[in-house]
Amino acid sequence: MADKQNVQKSVKIAAGAVVCVESEIRGDVTIGARTVVHPKARIIAEAGPIVIGEGNLIEEQALIINSYPENIMPDSEGVEPKTMTIGINNVFEVGCVSQALKIGDNNVIESKADVGRNVILTSGCIIGAFCQVNTCEVIPENTVIYGSGCMRRVQTERPQPQTLQLDFLMKILPNYHHLKKTVKASQNTKN
Amino acid sequence: MASLLQPNRVVYLVCGEKKIRSPLSQLYFCRYCSELRSLECVSHEVDSHYCPSCLENMPSAEAKLKKNRCANCFDCPCCMHTLSTRATNIPAPLPDDPTKTAMKKAYYLACGFCRWTSRDVGMADKSVASGGWQEPENPHTQRINKLIEYYQQLAQRERQERDRKKLARKRQCMPLAFSQHTIHVVEKYGLGTRLQRQRSGAPISSLAGLSLKEGEDQKEINIEPAQALDEVEPLPEDCYTRPISLPEVTTLRQRLLQPDFQPAGASQLHPKHKHLLMKRSLRCRKCEHNLSKPEFNPTSIKFKIQLVAVSYIPEVRIMSIPNLRYMKESQVLLTLTNPVETITHVTLVACEEGDSDDINSTAKVIVPTKELVLAGKDAAAEYDELAEPQDFQDDPDVVAFRKSNKIGFFIKVIPQKEEDEDVTVSFKIRHDFRNLAAPIRPSEESAEAVPEAIWLTHHVELSLGPLAN
Repeated sequence: MADKQNVQKSVKIAAGAVVCVESEIRGDVTIGARTVVHPKARIIAEAGPIVIGEGNLIEEQALIINSYPENIMPDSEGVEPKTMTIGINNVFEVGCVSQALKIGDNNVIESKADVGRNVILTSGCIIGAFCQVNTCEVIPENTVIYGSGCMRRVQTERPQPQTLQLDFLMKILPNYHHLKKTVKASQNTKN
Repeated sequence: MASLLQPNRVVYLVCGEKKIRSPLSQLYFCRYCSELRSLECVSHEVDSHYCPSCLENMPSAEAKLKKNRCANCFDCPCCMHTLSTRATNIPAPLPDDPTKTAMKKAYYLACGFCRWTSRDVGMADKSVASGGWQEPENPHTQRINKLIEYYQQLAQRERQERDRKKLARKRQCMPLAFSQHTIHVVEKYGLGTRLQRQRSGAPISSLAGLSLKEGEDQKEINIEPAQALDEVEPLPEDCYTRPISLPEVTTLRQRLLQPDFQPAGASQLHPKHKHLLMKRSLRCRKCEHNLSKPEFNPTSIKFKIQLVAVSYIPEVRIMSIPNLRYMKESQVLLTLTNPVETITHVTLVACEEGDSDDINSTAKVIVPTKELVLAGKDAAAEYDELAEPQDFQDDPDVVAFRKSNKIGFFIKVIPQKEEDEDVTVSFKIRHDFRNLAAPIRPSEESAEAVPEAIWLTHHVELSLGPLAN
């Protein structure tokens, strides 16, 4: 049991990802290739590891946190660390907070949106700006949540992956920021 | 505290046809009648129409033709936001050589807020950026137009008869007399306000046209009465058993914004052209002077005539409120700002017992008895370091501070009711007003150019918040 606690507290950044030094990444986080993490973004794996896929865009002041649920103390026994998985081609816009344990592909969480822990985003979902979604449900594919009343509608096509933006950022960000070191995926890290 | 500056905290009473209590920032001041006016005691006239997104100006006649809608801009049928045109590149066969394909631009409409696109309802992408989008035709347009024509003719006939009756009665007076009546009367069925812009002295073409019109409209428009049907379309059989897919159902608001079709399914929501907004000018009903006249250009926010109350009447604002306790006297700090450039003398008078305007106050108020003097507003004062500070002998019990054209003063408040509602006090404020607009009577001492001051009294009510526990 004690072993599990000491496993892999480091950050694994795949080759091809651009992660700025000013971002705060704590805990056991794996970041896939072609992902861009802006400065001042925060990825905090407190209660379990976070696995982030490829081609994601995590903008400034976004907070992706795998935290303990509110009524459970951090040190109590019997708490299994749950892994937070994030798929490919997602966009976390400026200032959003995401605690959802499972996020699929091609989702967009717009600025200052708040996604709770018990929400599961499938594919192509768009959580609109400043919408707080803290229900306990699976959001169906291609759903758009918008407006102050969190109205919902289904769109016919999924949002396009931000390839142009990602390419641009991967060229420009290294000119102005230092980047965190990437680790080759095949190599095992030793602490 | 910013909440003390909320506009509804201090309201002024307007004595018009109705007694209206409104913050000073929303009132107008007619300097010819020397009275406060609110939005309900003035007449509103439409100046011009413009589209809020492309800011295109349109004369009223053209606006009526287009049913008050912009030709270029669309509204999202889902969230009523403005739609933007987006372009994609699609491979399309070249017109010369069908085997080769080239990239052509295709345009579609998309909403930035709810991510609705024109492809959702099946509208094909257009090859031109603007002008390609059409609203669907209403199948009942012809019948509706015919009905409108018939009723317009009826209304015209009614109005002619009414005018003829009035003319017969007032045969001696100038014909202008009856047209004055119809300036403020809204026309039935929106025929247009052709009498509105008539200036006095101009010959009235309508009178001369009356006889002409009778000859013209000999062609009667007949309409067939609507036919009642006995049989109604039956409901589908699975009406009660079919599960509803909520994203497919339109909300009431979405449905009623398209009164032509009122679609029940979201896949039939077509975008509509954007509604035009209008610029309006306000006119005092008693003296017919303009109180507010905006500029014609939609991009300009300035006014040609702007007789707003805040530039003529001293404004009372709440600065700080101590803890208010039932039946205990507390001091509330208020500020009084002088908007004009001359010195203003202000006297505060508490409302008497049995004052008919004093219905809302829940506390007794003791106002300073002495006259308060406010310095004029001097725009250059803050830059002028060497200006001598004006010497007003201020009683420190009454005046807390003085800063250019503003003073802070104390009033004593004794809440009389112990209930949970807000403590409200009211008093009358009496100040001198120099009417710079009125013509100065040439007196013997022609050197004296100062217009005479008249004293105006306003009833002010303040809402001081709940009692402290």
